Amino acid sequence: MCRLGAAFALLAGCQTSLHAEGSSAGVQEFDPQAFPGYVVDDVVVPVPSEVFSVLDKLGEPNWRQEIRKLEMPSTGDRTLLALMFGTVVAEGFVAVQAEDRQSVQDIGREVINLSKNLGLSKSVLPHAQAILDAADRDDWSSIRKEFDRTQKTVQDQMEKMKDADLSQCVSLGGWLRGTTTVTSIITKSFSADRAELLNQPMLVEHFIAAISKMPEGTRKHGQIVKILAGLRDVLARMESAVDGFSHESVEKIGGVCGSLLTEIRTGK
Amino acid sequence: MNLNLTFRRRSLLASACALALAMVGPATATVDDAHSFAMEAAQSFVDQGFIVREDYWNGEVKSGVKLMVRHQLFKGNEYAFWLGTANDGVDLELKIYDDKGKSIEMDRKVDKNSMYASVRVNPPKTGTYTLVFSLKSHTEKSVFWALAYGYR
Repeated sequence: MCRLGAAFALLAGCQTSLHAEGSSAGVQEFDPQAFPGYVVDDVVVPVPSEVFSVLDKLGEPNWRQEIRKLEMPSTGDRTLLALMFGTVVAEGFVAVQAEDRQSVQDIGREVINLSKNLGLSKSVLPHAQAILDAADRDDWSSIRKEFDRTQKTVQDQMEKMKDADLSQCVSLGGWLRGTTTVTSIITKSFSADRAELLNQPMLVEHFIAAISKMPEGTRKHGQIVKILAGLRDVLARMESAVDGFSHESVEKIGGVCGSLLTEIRTGK
Repeated sequence: MNLNLTFRRRSLLASACALALAMVGPATATVDDAHSFAMEAAQSFVDQGFIVREDYWNGEVKSGVKLMVRHQLFKGNEYAFWLGTANDGVDLELKIYDDKGKSIEMDRKVDKNSMYASVRVNPPKTGTYTLVFSLKSHTEKSVFWALAYGYR
């Protein structure tokens, strides 16, 4: 979703009425190019648990194996902090999937640390406390909900402070962490159904477009430059997977996302 | 068309709040009220195990004008979308199309007071889907709306 909090819609076209006509029993067709109304130029990025829940239905992934130890470097670089924040929240979703209380608590504390560095601790503390309290009760659904709330609160605050680019960085970091986990699981137990979960070109296009709209300073940030190159690579692989993703293409996508993640987490 | 659409997000409000707002006239209706009604629609789904996302779309739109939202869905999940309005006497329409422009089979329900509509869908493939919706008021020139979703 557009996080500018501003008036924002695109008129896609007005020359024809909505192209929605019956073509077969119960089926209608829709041509977005001939859409006569407003296109809400806004993308809601799925949280990692939306994909994780499908992977759970397709098998029994070893979620504990997917948890990564958090060793975030100390930095005052807000772009990097926002990227890190997104990855940490996504790590929280992995820990919830693994039902790993200790990891959730560690992640909750890291959320507090990062929010302090971002100057957002006042808004985040209630959520972080709720995460820690729910972890004591092994209340996984509440923790999952609270991670989603935490991310939304942080992004709302960033938008209020006219830091929409940082808000996008939070989404980007989260998507990179989530996709690294998804590709790792698919690679370990490949199937076409699992691999199809990577068919997300619209999200990647959204991130590429979001980067192009960032202020020049952010756009030229070392991490963002690398992320943009990585996203273009990933998009090309997604678009070329017309007949489905091969094991190799899943590994490649995972490799790109994993490398970017490592660079964010090491601050390099 | 130069109507501005404003997009903001707000925390969930309790159903009781939404009910109270139902008695407030359109003059004081807001996009937040529309979201409250969408959340009222979500309540029965939550009872069935749906997880409601915190993020959502909302705004104000000219009555009857169609809106389009693109969204990523994952095959294997069941999704529910809740369209809420803060205005009385509104006809709500909501349809979902796949990336080829084919309409997707879905279960659609509208509440008796027409303050919200819900659809549930099992995406046949993982990919980008298009939601097309409109809110046609019998009395107002423009209406407030909110579209939220959940999955299980």
